[in-house]
Amino acid sequence: MPITPTFLRARLVRVGLVLLSASTCPNPLSAADQTGEQIYREMCIRCHGPAGEGTKKAPKPLLGDKSLAQLTKVIDETMPEDDPDKLDAAGSAKVAAYIHDAFYSPTAQARTRPARVELARLTNGQYRNAVADVIGGFRSVPKVDERRGLRGEYFNARGFQTNRRLIDRIDPEVQFDFGIAAPGEKFDTPHQYAIRWEGSVLAPETGSYEFVVRTEHATRLWVNDLRTPLIDAWVKSGNDTEYRGSIPLLAGRAYSLKLEFSKAKQGVDDSKKNPNPPLLKASVTLLWKPPFGTTEVIPARHLMPARSPEGYVVATPFPPDDRSLGWERGTTISKEWDAATTEAAIEVASYVAARLPELAGVSDNAKSRTVSLKEFCKKFAERAFRRPLTADQKRTFVDRPFETSDPDTAVKRVILFVLKSPRFLYREVGGGPDGYDVASRLSFALWDSIPDDELLKAAATGKLATPEQVTAQAERMVADPRTRAKVRSFLLTWLKVEQPPDVSKDPKRFPGFDAAVASDLRASLELFLDDVVWSGSGDFRKLLLADELFLNGPLAKLYGADLLATAPFQKVKLDAGKRAGVLTHPYLLAAFAYTTESSPIHRGVFVARGILGLSLRPPPEAVAPLSADLHPKLSTRDRVTLQTKPQACITCHGVVNPLGFTLEHFDAIGRYREQDNGKPVDSSGIYLTRSGTVATFAGPRELAHFLADNTEVHSAFAEQLFHHLIRQPVRAYGPATLEELRKGFAANDFAIRKLIVAIAVAGALPVEAKRNPPEGNLLPDAKLNLPKR
Amino acid sequence: MAPNRTRREFVRDLGLSAAALPFILNLPSLGFANQQRRKQRLVILFSPNGVIPGAFWPDEEGAKFTLKASLKPLEPFQDKTLLLNGVCDRVRGDGDNHMRGIGCLLTGVELFPGNIQGGSHTPAGWASGLSIDQEIRNFLQADPATRTRFGSLEFGVMVPDRADTWTRMVYSGPNKPVAPIDDPYQMFNKLYGRAKDRELLKSVLDGVSDDLKKVGGAVGAADKKLLEEHTTFVREMEKELRETKESAGHPVPTLEAGVKKENDRIPVISKMQIDLMVNAFTADHTRIATLQYTNSVGMARMRWIGVEEGHHELSHEPDNNEKAKDKLTRINAWFAGQLAYLARRLADTPEPGGPGSLLDNTIIMWTNELGKGNSHTLDNIPFVLVGGGVDFKMGRSLKYTRLPHNRLLMSLAHGFGHRISRFGSPDFCGDGPLPSLT
Repeated sequence: MPITPTFLRARLVRVGLVLLSASTCPNPLSAADQTGEQIYREMCIRCHGPAGEGTKKAPKPLLGDKSLAQLTKVIDETMPEDDPDKLDAAGSAKVAAYIHDAFYSPTAQARTRPARVELARLTNGQYRNAVADVIGGFRSVPKVDERRGLRGEYFNARGFQTNRRLIDRIDPEVQFDFGIAAPGEKFDTPHQYAIRWEGSVLAPETGSYEFVVRTEHATRLWVNDLRTPLIDAWVKSGNDTEYRGSIPLLAGRAYSLKLEFSKAKQGVDDSKKNPNPPLLKASVTLLWKPPFGTTEVIPARHLMPARSPEGYVVATPFPPDDRSLGWERGTTISKEWDAATTEAAIEVASYVAARLPELAGVSDNAKSRTVSLKEFCKKFAERAFRRPLTADQKRTFVDRPFETSDPDTAVKRVILFVLKSPRFLYREVGGGPDGYDVASRLSFALWDSIPDDELLKAAATGKLATPEQVTAQAERMVADPRTRAKVRSFLLTWLKVEQPPDVSKDPKRFPGFDAAVASDLRASLELFLDDVVWSGSGDFRKLLLADELFLNGPLAKLYGADLLATAPFQKVKLDAGKRAGVLTHPYLLAAFAYTTESSPIHRGVFVARGILGLSLRPPPEAVAPLSADLHPKLSTRDRVTLQTKPQACITCHGVVNPLGFTLEHFDAIGRYREQDNGKPVDSSGIYLTRSGTVATFAGPRELAHFLADNTEVHSAFAEQLFHHLIRQPVRAYGPATLEELRKGFAANDFAIRKLIVAIAVAGALPVEAKRNPPEGNLLPDAKLNLPKR
Repeated sequence: MAPNRTRREFVRDLGLSAAALPFILNLPSLGFANQQRRKQRLVILFSPNGVIPGAFWPDEEGAKFTLKASLKPLEPFQDKTLLLNGVCDRVRGDGDNHMRGIGCLLTGVELFPGNIQGGSHTPAGWASGLSIDQEIRNFLQADPATRTRFGSLEFGVMVPDRADTWTRMVYSGPNKPVAPIDDPYQMFNKLYGRAKDRELLKSVLDGVSDDLKKVGGAVGAADKKLLEEHTTFVREMEKELRETKESAGHPVPTLEAGVKKENDRIPVISKMQIDLMVNAFTADHTRIATLQYTNSVGMARMRWIGVEEGHHELSHEPDNNEKAKDKLTRINAWFAGQLAYLARRLADTPEPGGPGSLLDNTIIMWTNELGKGNSHTLDNIPFVLVGGGVDFKMGRSLKYTRLPHNRLLMSLAHGFGHRISRFGSPDFCGDGPLPSLT
């Protein structure tokens, strides 16, 4: 979520009950003689409508997820809007109970508008992954290599003859300054040597990566496609010492990378004729600018010495997916989307046509070429459709194009036809319900891509029928880097920073806090998230309770830890006993803050919406924060309290502010502080739980413990994770599914990886009955109003 | 892409209101119906390793001259030919003569210092400025009336797969060499790929609609709506495809299949590239084209005319090696033959929407990185011009005394109405375009 300088971005405030009737009833109603429904009809219906659907006066429907206790409190304090005293506490409780049960609560909503698993097309990310894996299926399987860095070969020559190789080692990063010397002993001369680094680069997220090579000498860089260099600066010309090239990559995948460097004159070799030229300096650095990052030396953790098979990334742009519910889903289409699928299909067909000998394994003049190409096309269609072709489909999709075109044109036609077919473009429409549908649901849940061979084999042999069988597959699949990429993207979404926020700060207040620090902080958060999820038991509570975080040299200097300036990222205990996982991670504290001051409201909203999963409506109007300069005697806490005092604010800010106040010991860049504006920091906070009890906290660690043990938090986490993985509303899978997931989560000591498996299984097992409910129950999709999470 | 611009689009791009339209369109230069400004085109042909001067330059000066052995194939076009002797590449600086020969030939500017070592001199990098074809291209593209889909096309024949100073002649700017496309199939795709794709697409859309219907039959009513919407999009696309013009507006050439990039296929590749170029002109996809045979220091072995040796090694033979001189003369005559084939094709193709032929509106300039192979001189660079694309007086043999070739490059620009006062290194532009051309 990008930060804007107004309150508006907090997207805060106000319960469903915005207005109540300006009733003219003279006497305060006694709660004793009326039911909740009667009170509703008398006092509320004029503005809110018979079933809470809203009227012109109060257009927002009464839908939400406040607990009954929370709802009662709001009604009692604010309703009817013209005169809250008209309704006493008992009456408020009765009418709240009625509203809650009749239409307000998620359960009531589920009852009145049954959710269903909607037909969905592939999301854009799924489309790119699916195409990559359809084509990747004709290449070797990528090897997992736990080693990091690149293989570096150093040659005692200007070229790369193996018999001239003097050094063969792993270099963690490519950042060398050899000065005027040779890169090691035994080199004949400092004038002539060459180095080749080889291996793979691991893309942490999907998007366009800019690679940068800095050197004074000849260099070439290949990424993914090892035939055509991304950067060709073998000709050194003029004063250029920096070369750039961009390429799109997909998250969770490894792409081959090769960097060649040669300190020598190229062209005609005159080294014998001219053995003592002036000594030249030589350095070489390999950097990148990832989609959301700054230009940096490619860190060792994103490099591995093993090569990878070539991958394919569809370059055609697609219109963005629907994210109106907080997760990407493919339940709508547009003409632009249809046009993009055509463009992309043409793009893929050309790519494949140009690589037929490699992909189809058939040479241009092989005798049985047509037979082999047909076989290739059949496999292509089966991978794309995620199931075997029927005889009829084989005739339509494969045989017929070959009957009417020459073989090369036929291949292109088949690919176009297959990639434009609804069997490829939509989820699970090709012929189930059967094991193939289960396989697809599993693979899209965990990888956002098509099933691999093992899954398809399991489907073919009927081994995806029981929950145990499906669970076993899901457990195998969780280890795949694509799952890691998807889970990381979820966690960043959960923390509201999937689109990197602008965290620039006032350079006078925070000297040294620059774009590089911001990028390091994001890396620090990502390392932490990966570490919690993928090491040990993957205990969810650690996300909130961990007192260590990842720092490198530059971050340690800024945040006051003791590390060497050049230290790589490592776990550090910072501000002993005062930090608590993501709640106090400096990246998030800086993101949810202004350029000079902390923002308890942004932080409170982050805790309330993200972690507790409360739905908060946007504030009724945009408000600029009170300036610290104009209130020199007030702490941030005092200013926020002063500004949100009005009745219109406090219904939401009463929840938000006290949560945010607990983090007041951290300034606008997330550094620990004892004082704010010259006053000791008060970091006490309070929260009214759904069960109606009041929880109080003295600072972030108490808040963290409260949240880590709180069922609301567990449920919200499971629900959001479900939506991110399955891309369908969890309510469509039965009213009890979420609660079952939460219980299983708790029973497994909050092991995130087990929750991922449980969700994938819950999403994969047949729900055909729910997809096709009796016609009478259908409501137009547009009216589906799910709670915002 | 702006191949088929309507008058309305053009006027809109000029930022003119509808009210101004009647006045504008009465101006002859803007009214398309009675188009006054003719289309002008430029082709630059490159062949390497110098020539045998005695078998190349006519003895005479003026309108009456006899074409010597190397230029014999141009006889049918002698009245449309202009030979410019005495034009010299005077640019110096880093790089050996082959490198500067090709790198400064169309740029008229020094090479950057760099790491590419030639057979002599200091190492160098790329040229430090753009080439004249790109200069004129930018000039034409800046004007909606002369803008074309590609602006320029860079053809090649057997250009080695390495990017260095010896293999690049066209530059879009300092340090920005442009790689020629020496694969006719790749060039074909660039020109006609979209049209082919549309045909393919047309052939599958019916099937897609059927498939949507089948799949739609198996989902519930609410989901069916999504697929129905999808079907509508597919139908709309079919309709749009039907309405798109059937072809490129001219016959799409059919290329001989399976021609590999091999020395012995040079004649076939050359013909294919020339045919594609003529097609691109007919469709007005471009008005500028370059065609680069091999590279500076090119190694073609012209076995098809009985020359077994590589072109470059042969070009180093001393003046008293008569056999080598004969072979080099024949090699250059073969290149002249390619020029003649191009001229023939252009002459045989009527100018679309105007009088005369394509050749009447095209100026071809054939040139070389050296004046003479065994001396590596950059003096008397061969400049052979054919066609009526600019207002030069053709059918002549001119002899200058060591005039810098920058002035010829400027003359070309002026011929296109682009009146630049210098091009490339300012040291060689002082006196403006070459005298006595027009």
